[in-house]
Amino acid sequence: MSAKPLKKNQGSVGILKVSMVWTILIALLAVLAVASMAIGSAGYSFREILSAIFLDTDATTRVVVLSLRLPRVILAILIGAALAAGGALLQAVMRNPLADPGTIGVSAGAGTAAITVLLIFPNLSLSLPLFAFVGASLACVLIYIMAWKGGVDPVRIILSGVAINSVLSGYNSLLQLLNSDNLSGVLSFMNGSLSGMSWVHVRTMAVYAVVGLGLSLLCIRHANALQLGDEMAKNLGIRVNASRICLSAVSAFLAASTVSVAGMIGFVGLVVPHIARMLIGSDYKVLLPTSILLGGVTLLLADTVGRTIIPGLEIPVGIVMSVAGGPFFLYMLRKRGKFNGS
Amino acid sequence: MQIGYGDHVVVDDLDICISKNKITSIIGPNGSGKSTVLKSLTRLLRYQKGTVSIDGRDLRDFGPKELARRVGVLPQIHSAPADFRVKELVGYGRMPYQGLFSRLTPEDERIVENALKATGTYHLRDKSIHEISGGETQRVWIATVLTQQPEILFLDEPTTYLDIGHQLETMRMVKKLNQETGVGVVMVLHDLSHALEVSDHIVVIKDGKKYSEGPPCEVITSKMLREVYHVSGTIVHIPGRTKPVIAFGELG
Repeated sequence: MSAKPLKKNQGSVGILKVSMVWTILIALLAVLAVASMAIGSAGYSFREILSAIFLDTDATTRVVVLSLRLPRVILAILIGAALAAGGALLQAVMRNPLADPGTIGVSAGAGTAAITVLLIFPNLSLSLPLFAFVGASLACVLIYIMAWKGGVDPVRIILSGVAINSVLSGYNSLLQLLNSDNLSGVLSFMNGSLSGMSWVHVRTMAVYAVVGLGLSLLCIRHANALQLGDEMAKNLGIRVNASRICLSAVSAFLAASTVSVAGMIGFVGLVVPHIARMLIGSDYKVLLPTSILLGGVTLLLADTVGRTIIPGLEIPVGIVMSVAGGPFFLYMLRKRGKFNGS
Repeated sequence: MQIGYGDHVVVDDLDICISKNKITSIIGPNGSGKSTVLKSLTRLLRYQKGTVSIDGRDLRDFGPKELARRVGVLPQIHSAPADFRVKELVGYGRMPYQGLFSRLTPEDERIVENALKATGTYHLRDKSIHEISGGETQRVWIATVLTQQPEILFLDEPTTYLDIGHQLETMRMVKKLNQETGVGVVMVLHDLSHALEVSDHIVVIKDGKKYSEGPPCEVITSKMLREVYHVSGTIVHIPGRTKPVIAFGELG
């Protein structure tokens, strides 16, 4: 009898922590969004932004805020969320903290397809998202074929992913070298950029994000079970290989959608789920939503920094993420020793 | 009730019959195929030929969740994120009974609680995995599998990596579980003394074949030790002890 109240108490502490973290993240997101709309080549006050969005005021402010900065803010949040969710899912599939669509070649697959289209078949560039997704899926299938040996083993997946990643990156560089006179569009694509994004992009990405993130929420149970080890998951009645493939497909879809809209942005899928795990623990029921929120915050922050840190020069968000994400990741590797207990 | 496991496994040629309500141990030297047998019996591995059946129904006809409700396996390799709470981990044992979005019902909570109590881990329920010891972790995993409410519990070397105190504690708990709840237990064991002490039935595997099976005292003999393990030993009866012990030959 005495156990009941104690248990309830413990449970509500967990819920309290989760809701606190989520509230903070949502607040951060709101503050960052406003800040991001306020700063830039033309600075605005909070009131100017609000009136530009909700009232019909000064035309230039309205144009800058509503058609330049707001779509960019929304896009950064959506893309960050999609990247983080994709990374979190892959980490469950591989049971490996290094997994991320960027490290195992899924993003490179999408990128390769997209660059090929941009440079060699520019007349097809309208169907870029389709090609990116096909590229990502092909890379994914290729990784699985190479890693398959009576079942998929996380270590083999990572290794064949890294190999495929290096081949595709080589191909991408070669293609750029051969087309060095025609690079401007491709460069911003390779480095992942959000500049010049409009509401059209937002609409496209929103559709992808709703579908992809919705699917990712369906994966939570299986992601959790996979964390317990293959045989344990099998013992609990999970079809391990089938659920691995489904989870990777969702992750590939998320990665490809971001690549097709904004190009290749690394490290979000790698770093964000880690921070989320440190904040909130490894249970995907809370880890996945936290990663999604934190992904939005991270990419919005990175893009705002890249846009404003050097006046007059816009640094692509992909570069900001690589420069800041790499050292941060190393720091975490050193700080955090134990990933799994048994 | 009897379950027929007529089996022709990767492990050559084998026929085992495992009874619910009893403790069956599978013993044999390293590489003899003990774990392979256990995995085939529980469909963690596919077998090439033959059939495994539960109550006369072929194992392959069971859906994954359906099987998980009848047979619980604790594999040798498993891992849990260090921050998982004991109670949460044990709750995963209810997965075979749940749909995509369902949460633990009060009934599930009760079953989890019972499993925690039965394995003596109830006081640990709110701790996280990295806060408890190796022996406790092992008991928590057994609780997880127990929460599946299986008819038979399969344990693959449940005492590996544990010190002697925790080994005996685990064995005592398994015996108690079997006696109190009537759950059938099949274990792969390395330690012959444990097998002798807790089993109702022992199967000896050698080179992928069944060497012998039967009640502990009939199976564990000097002849078996010599032929299967290539060691000399005597089975000694000590006054005041119902079960015999194994005295191995001196090393030098």
